[in-house]
Amino acid sequence: MSNQNILEVKNLTKHFKVGHRQIVHAVDDVSFTIPRGKTLGIVGESGCGKSSCARTVIRMYDPTKGQIILDGVDITNLKQKELKPYRKKMQMIFQDPYASLNARMTVRDIIAEPLLAHKIVKKKEDANEFVYPMLERVGLTKEHANRYAHEFSGGQRQRVGIARALILHPELIICDEPISALDVSIQAQVINLLKEFQEEKGGAYLFIAHDLSMVRYVSDEVGVMYLGQMVELCEADEIYRSPLHPYTRGLLGSIPIANPKLAKAKEKSSIKGDIPSPINPPDGCRFHTRCPYAKPECAKVAPQMKDVGGGHMVACHLY
Amino acid sequence: MDKKWDMLPSSNEDREKIWAKNRTFAGDVWFRFRHKPTAIGGLVMIVILLLFAFLGPLFTNYSYSTQKLAAVNIPPIMKVYERPDGEGYLHITQGLKLLEVNEDGTLGAQLEKVREESADSMTIYECGGEEVALYYGGSPYVVADPESGVIYPSKTLWNKSYILGTDSLGRDILTRLMYGTRISLMVAFVAAAVNMVIGILFGGIAGYAGGTVDAVMMRIVDIISTIPLTLYVILIMVFLGSGLQSIIIALGTVYWVDMARVVRGQVLSLKAQEFVLAAKTIGSSTKTILFQHLIPNAMGAILVTVTMLIPSAIFMEAFLGYLGIGLQPPLASLGTMCNDASETLRSCPHQLLFPALVICLIMFSFNFVGDGLRDALDPKLKK
Repeated sequence: MSNQNILEVKNLTKHFKVGHRQIVHAVDDVSFTIPRGKTLGIVGESGCGKSSCARTVIRMYDPTKGQIILDGVDITNLKQKELKPYRKKMQMIFQDPYASLNARMTVRDIIAEPLLAHKIVKKKEDANEFVYPMLERVGLTKEHANRYAHEFSGGQRQRVGIARALILHPELIICDEPISALDVSIQAQVINLLKEFQEEKGGAYLFIAHDLSMVRYVSDEVGVMYLGQMVELCEADEIYRSPLHPYTRGLLGSIPIANPKLAKAKEKSSIKGDIPSPINPPDGCRFHTRCPYAKPECAKVAPQMKDVGGGHMVACHLY
Repeated sequence: MDKKWDMLPSSNEDREKIWAKNRTFAGDVWFRFRHKPTAIGGLVMIVILLLFAFLGPLFTNYSYSTQKLAAVNIPPIMKVYERPDGEGYLHITQGLKLLEVNEDGTLGAQLEKVREESADSMTIYECGGEEVALYYGGSPYVVADPESGVIYPSKTLWNKSYILGTDSLGRDILTRLMYGTRISLMVAFVAAAVNMVIGILFGGIAGYAGGTVDAVMMRIVDIISTIPLTLYVILIMVFLGSGLQSIIIALGTVYWVDMARVVRGQVLSLKAQEFVLAAKTIGSSTKTILFQHLIPNAMGAILVTVTMLIPSAIFMEAFLGYLGIGLQPPLASLGTMCNDASETLRSCPHQLLFPALVICLIMFSFNFVGDGLRDALDPKLKK
C-alpha cells in the first residue's frame, strides 16, 4: 500500500506567526497523494499557499499540523538530522534560476553538492563521473562544468538546477514554479526535459505552477488551491473538461485564447475582487466573498472535500 | 542565385556555447579590479608604503631615536651662506648657531662661538681660522664679515644628510616616518584582522541563529555603538596605559560593531535566498552551508568593510598619538610625529607636512582599493 504512493499528505497545515498574535494561514488542511511515477499539478493564484505547501512537504518549514508520509515513512516530525536519509528521495527545483544557484560556485560544485552531502562521493574530484553525464543529459557540455552560474542564460541555469535535483535520482521531485521565470520558448524545453526524465527514471513530480495550460500538459492529476485550501482535485483532463468549483471555472476562464472568434464565444466568468488576506480568512467557504453562486450557507459552514464521482474531489456546497 | 536567405546550419553545441572566456572567480575579480585606475593606483601606493615602512629602515644611517642636538630643526632645503675660505657653506640653525655644510649638501660640525657682541646684534664664530659674524639685528638673520659688515653670498641647498630634515630633538624625520608608517600599518592590519574575526563570528552567529539570539546580540551591538567609539578607545587606553599592545587591544575590541552589523545583514539576507534553501533541501550540513554558501557570498562586503576599516584604524591611531595617549616616546607613529611637529609649526611646517601627507596617502590608497574591491567583487557588474 505504502509503496503505491510515493507521497501522502494528510491534513497538512502550516501557519506562520507574523507580528503580534497574527497568524498567516498559508496552508490549511490540505490532503493529497502522489502515486509513483505520476505528476500532481497544483495551481492557484499568487499567495494561495502553493509554494508554502511545497516547502512544507520538503520540510523546509515545520508543519503546524498534519502528516507527510514519504514512501511509507512519516517524516512530519523528524528532526533535520534524522531527515537526511529521506532527503535523497525528495529533491526540489526552484522557481528563480538566478537566485537558486550559488554565484560563488562552479556548475560542477553545484551539481556535485548533493553527492557530497550524501557521501556518494568522497571528494569533489570524484564527482566528475556523475556530473559530466548529467550535464550532457540536460543539454549542456563538459566545458560548462567550470563556469559560474552567472555566465549562463536563464534556461541554462534552470537546467543546472534540474541537474542538481536529479543527480541523486530522487523518487519525488518538487517543482516550485520551475518555468514561471523563463521565456516561453525556454519553458517548453525545460518541461520536455522534465517529462523525458519521468519516462526514463519513473520519478514522481509535485508540479506547482500558475500556468494552467502547462500544468495540463505535464500533470496526471491537478489540484486547485485557494487561500491555503485545496478546493478541487481530480484527473488533469477531467478538470479542464468539466470544472466544478466556481473558482476553478474562473481560473480556467482566464486562460487567453488565441482565436478571437473562439474567445468571443467563451463565457466571461472572470473572478471579481482580490484574494482576501490569509491573516483573517473568511469564515465558512473561503471563496464565498468572491463567488458568483454564494448562498447564505456558504458564509457559515466550511465545505468539505467530497467525491462527486470518478475520483473528482471538490469542496463546494453546490455539489 | 545567392543563398542569402538560406538557414545557417545550427548545432546544439554552438547554441549552448558560452563565448566569454573561462575565468576563475579570483581571476575575474582581478580582471575587474585592474581595469579601475584608482584601485590600481591605490594598490601600488600601498605596496610602495609597505616597502617604505619595512625595507626603508635598512637604508638609513639613523635610528628613530638617535638625537643630534647640534642639528635641531634643520629643514630639507636649507638657506646657506658661503664660507669666507670658500670650502663649503654655513647654515643658521633655529637656535642661532652656525652649522658647517659641505659642498655636496651634507652637514658638518657646529662652529665654535668666539664672543657675543650684543651692541651690534652679532655673535662671532670661528670658521677655519677666520671670524664670521651671525647678524641677528634684522630679519632675515644673515652671516657677514664682522669687520666690513659685508654679507656673504647666499643660496639654497638640498639637505643631503637629512633628506626630510630633522625634528626638534635632532632626529631624522625620514627614518621616523618609516618607523611611524610601519607602526601605523601594523596597528591597522592587526586591528582590522581582530575586528574581522570578532565581527564575522558575532554577526554570523546573530544572523544565522536569528530570533531571540539575534535580537539580544544586536542590542549589545546597539548599546556599544551608542557611546562614541573614540571615547571608548580613549577610556581603554587610559585604563591599559599607553603602548602598542594597548592601542591594538583598544581598536580591536571596539571597531568590530560595524563589521558585525555588515556580516549579520549579509547572512540574514543570504540565508533566505533560494540557493541556501536549496542546500538545506539537498541535506547539506550546517558547516557546508556556512562555509560554502554564506561566508563566500558575504566575503565581498566583508573585504570592503575591512579595507574601509583600515584607514579609520590608522586615523584613530594617529589621533590617539596626536592626543599624546598613543605610543610612548621615543617610538614614532604618524600621530606622535604630528603632535611633536605642532609645537614648531610656525618655524618648521615641514615637520607636520610629511607625516600628514603619509596619513593622507594611506587613507586615500585604502579607500580607493576598498572602492575598487567592492565593484570587482560584485559578479553582476561583469563586463
